[in-house]
Amino acid sequence: MTREEILGKLRGIMGRTSQAKVDWSRVNEQSSIASLGIDSLAMLDLMYDLQQEFGIEFEPQDVVNVSTVGDLAAFIEGRMGA
Amino acid sequence: MRRIRYLVEYCFVRLLLFLLDRLPLSFCARLANGAADIAFRLHASRRRIAIDNILVSGITADRREAERIARASFRHFARLVAESLKSDAYFSRHPWTECVDWRISPELQQILDDPSRGLILACGHLGNWEIAAQLLSHRKPVVGITRPMNNPYVNRLMQARKPRNRFELTPKHDANMARLVSALKEGKVLAIMIDQHARDRGMMIDFFGRPAATHTAIALLHLVTRTPLCFGACVETAPMQFRFHASGPLRFEPTGDKQQDIRRILEHLTRELETAIRAHPEQYMWGHRRWRDVKPAPPSGTPALR
Repeated sequence: MTREEILGKLRGIMGRTSQAKVDWSRVNEQSSIASLGIDSLAMLDLMYDLQQEFGIEFEPQDVVNVSTVGDLAAFIEGRMGA
Repeated sequence: MRRIRYLVEYCFVRLLLFLLDRLPLSFCARLANGAADIAFRLHASRRRIAIDNILVSGITADRREAERIARASFRHFARLVAESLKSDAYFSRHPWTECVDWRISPELQQILDDPSRGLILACGHLGNWEIAAQLLSHRKPVVGITRPMNNPYVNRLMQARKPRNRFELTPKHDANMARLVSALKEGKVLAIMIDQHARDRGMMIDFFGRPAATHTAIALLHLVTRTPLCFGACVETAPMQFRFHASGPLRFEPTGDKQQDIRRILEHLTRELETAIRAHPEQYMWGHRRWRDVKPAPPSGTPALR
């Protein structure tokens, strides 16, 4: 899966998780996750979706402090390649 | 004006603590019972909520019996406060091991004895949850989530006063997932109340057959971290004597249907809580509004939903 495909999936997952009004087509690697309405509880939702959507296992600790969408995409890319 | 009210309340609580520290436990318990009886008589709205909740739950259909349980519940809560505040001194004179009868499975026992393994503990406002956390913290560090009191002076006083051992309280507004996940990773017990109203962010789960907004975080934490989960309650069997019953460890595998996975876990835990409450209805805090859409019961005692 390419980085762009991962980003596309992330936009979809975050769009379902977030309660904020966001133009998801404009979300890019530099977008801060906190600015997208992903709060503490939504982060748990997001982690569930990431594990299921990408079929990866990870320690939630590795994800909770990730700050941007690009960091998250890089993390998933790394896990999928591992 | 509010500041003056807070200061008056603070002085009252200081006086109460002064007395609690100097009076024997049995006398404090009697005092708490008396205070609860007065509150039951004077605090009509809270009394009504408690009685209505008992009727709605189906614990009894008889209004007089519901009143008896509600009064006993008020008394239990007042004693819980007094005993919790005196517990530090009490446990310094009495070995804590002699105050609790553990009813847990060997597998759960192993998790508690293994410092590297975390545990998610679901509990409700049943028995003495304050002392439960203290007793459990002798075996494994415990992290609880708390809502700060409205009165900041009293809140500070109580926080400083609460016995700690290895029991750490995280304010609700500061309970970010990083902290909670770290606690589990560090082999701590994360204690979460499952019977608090979750407002618009919860999932509607039947509690005694009536839908109640229930927080989903506990289920998601289990599904995402795969940390063992259990339901526990610490009921009082005699003054400062407790029975700690915990079921599990429970394990639920994620199926890909998130909503269904969460529902399955919350329904299971809620059933466990109901069973525990049915066994000890007088030790449940009926005075909180678990079902926000329940109308006061009509005079006949038949509960009604909006």
